[in-house]
Amino acid sequence: MRAMTRLRFFLPVLLMLLSTLGCRPDEPLVVAPDEDVNLGGGTTFKGSFVNIFDQPAANLSPAEQEMHFRSDILFGDKFVSAPAEVNQGLGPVFNQNSCENCHVANGRSPFPVAPDDMRGLLFRWSIPGVDAVNAPLPIPGFGGQLQNKAIFGVQPEAKISWQEIEEVKAYVDGEKVNLRHFNFTITDGYKPLPDGYLLSPRIAPPVVGLGLLESIAPEDILRNADPDDVNQDGISGRANYVWNYRTGTRELGRFGWKANVPTLLQQTAGAYNGDMGVTSPYFPKENCAGQIQADGFTDDPEIDEETLQLATFYTQSLAVPQRRNWDDPQVRQGKVIFSELKCSSCHVPAFVTSANAQFDFLRSQKIFPYTDLLLHDMGEGLADHRPDFEATGTEWRTPPLWAVGLVKMIGGPEAGYLHDGRARTLAEAILWHGGEAEQSKEAFRKLDKSKRAALIRFLESL
Amino acid sequence: MRNISIVFLVFVGFAFQSCTKDDPIIKEGNYSEVLENIANDVILATYKDLNDKTIDLHTALIALQTSPDQNNLLAAQQAWREARKPWEQSEGFLYGPVDQKGIDPAMDSWPVNQTDLDAVLASTHALTKDFIDGLDGTLKGFHTIEYLLFGVDSKKAVTDFTPRQFEYLIGCSASLQGATALLYDSWKPDGGNYIANVIHAGTTGNSIYPSQKSALEEFTNGMSGIADEVANGKINDPFTQQNVTLEESRFSANSKQDFADNIRSIRHIYLGVYQNATGKGLSQIVLAKDAALDAQIRSDIDEAISSIEAINSTFTSAIFNSKESVQNAQNKVRNLQQTIESKLLPLISNL
Repeated sequence: MRAMTRLRFFLPVLLMLLSTLGCRPDEPLVVAPDEDVNLGGGTTFKGSFVNIFDQPAANLSPAEQEMHFRSDILFGDKFVSAPAEVNQGLGPVFNQNSCENCHVANGRSPFPVAPDDMRGLLFRWSIPGVDAVNAPLPIPGFGGQLQNKAIFGVQPEAKISWQEIEEVKAYVDGEKVNLRHFNFTITDGYKPLPDGYLLSPRIAPPVVGLGLLESIAPEDILRNADPDDVNQDGISGRANYVWNYRTGTRELGRFGWKANVPTLLQQTAGAYNGDMGVTSPYFPKENCAGQIQADGFTDDPEIDEETLQLATFYTQSLAVPQRRNWDDPQVRQGKVIFSELKCSSCHVPAFVTSANAQFDFLRSQKIFPYTDLLLHDMGEGLADHRPDFEATGTEWRTPPLWAVGLVKMIGGPEAGYLHDGRARTLAEAILWHGGEAEQSKEAFRKLDKSKRAALIRFLESL
Repeated sequence: MRNISIVFLVFVGFAFQSCTKDDPIIKEGNYSEVLENIANDVILATYKDLNDKTIDLHTALIALQTSPDQNNLLAAQQAWREARKPWEQSEGFLYGPVDQKGIDPAMDSWPVNQTDLDAVLASTHALTKDFIDGLDGTLKGFHTIEYLLFGVDSKKAVTDFTPRQFEYLIGCSASLQGATALLYDSWKPDGGNYIANVIHAGTTGNSIYPSQKSALEEFTNGMSGIADEVANGKINDPFTQQNVTLEESRFSANSKQDFADNIRSIRHIYLGVYQNATGKGLSQIVLAKDAALDAQIRSDIDEAISSIEAINSTFTSAIFNSKESVQNAQNKVRNLQQTIESKLLPLISNL
């Protein structure tokens, strides 16, 4: 532990070095062996147990802690059909009735066992083209998201079914690995769907560390962007510019699998509205307004601004768990390989949050999210072919890797990786990388077994 | 996994002989007896009891449908209370399959979606287990059964029941029992064997608990989590807002029992006891390090339970008419939470 303490003195120097890099670096970034132990800076919580995503940031003030515990209750609130004494406003069409039913134990949702309970898997859909603010065009009569459930007596928009498809791939050393993906089918539409609509599956991601990601200054994100690949490393990194529906301005997108949301407030209001059918001052119109499912009640907004702000605070104030086994030699070896394979070109290890972040506990934190929050072409294998603002049909936002090693522990055996939960293991997830990540993926395929294991062990330590 | 770990051990042994700290394979101490006892005699035993009691509840509801008389109604209501106990006594360990398999929302969603329930009852749907399994959590589980069985004020008479309500209760209790069976089975050694993760915490290949300490931390966090929920949610919301509709088990007037049973789940994990079983719990670990703290935790638990039981009349009435007794109970539960968080957690974390 003494060595750790001394290493901290080098941290500021290294971070200064990182922040002075002018553009996407040609050389892989190397994070010193132990500097990223506290992945979430001062928010970091030390421990390793199943309910670890349920811990408040370690650096909250007593007042913020009290606010966090109040907000925690909102995350578990179950909504019911109107009229009701408590938590009125579910639906009429919806995906789930509470935040925690998708974000299971605040972690990545398990992939559904059967279509009757979709857990945290939902589908965005649209028709080709964009609206006045460059958002995807909703399907007339169906909106921008498939709500596959409805309150009793109301018809859901449609149902989903799927086939699992297994493909056998091989590492260069000959070892075989099975990759799974899904063919999703829409059935039982309440009315016919137009030809040529676009469908994109999205699984609920973990909720930890989001306040820190929101607190990274836009210029620090844009510093890594290289939309025209000027440095010719095969990796572009593009910002998504999206619509802030409250301020009416075009802003950098950060949240969602395609970085199509600018702020956690909008993300939270969008989830209340799109996923639960609960209106707020931010999005006061029901998700099925104008459809036959609309209830005709004049009870909107169904939650008030204070509730929305408080629920948002919950997503801002959760602790990021500390790394585990960081000084294990195999983990350290894996970390070097992570850089050698240029994984860190997109999964950018380090940032310092803005000194002007919304809350004191989020300000000037040295964090290690392992994401650049930018869009990358991930190839045909992962493509959803549904553009979202400036994200193309093959682009996805780099997801953060902090806490990725805890996905199975928290979500159980059905919890998977990637945007639709298709990858059952981290190795499968890597092997799905294509497009800009093709070279890194191929380099992984060429590794010998022990180096592959070391890389995975490193990821598991995050 | 196992092969990789053995290779890795050899690798560590040869190349990094001096590097041993924080190795997940090296135990911080031997807590096997505590882990095994809590896993078997508390967690698994509670889930078995829960499943036995939901079977009894289903049976009692069939008897009520068959012979709808006052005795059978009281028996069915009592069967609901008996099934509720082990569930509330399990809320100090809400981790693992209960979340991962979506069992908690299927069993204990609150509030009841009364609008939809009325609509379902008025429909012509067959009210089978399969149909009810497919409904939202707020239309099944403990609280839906409670609502139908007790009415909104615990005064429901046998003559108030409709045939559709009986049918719903039968399907709904079968669905609840299916959920408790899944939960028990997920933990059972000859089922999903989740229990092995706890018993064998810290052994090679354990993907849940890298050390015995991490399992002990899970227990402790579960304890503080439920103390927090009782003090700052279940008691606080209806009390501070002076609003009975925010009370969870209002229909059955079972809230005091719920709260006390939640605190009993803390006692069970701490002492390693459930019903007639005796064994080692966290208490034995604490006792060896800080006997005064052990005594304090035991006394905080006892005081929390006795102050909840001392709330005058029903909780529904007491939040208006006996505020001191409610305030006292809330304070005592907060004391317990504070002791767990500020003293027990650090002790376990520093093992």
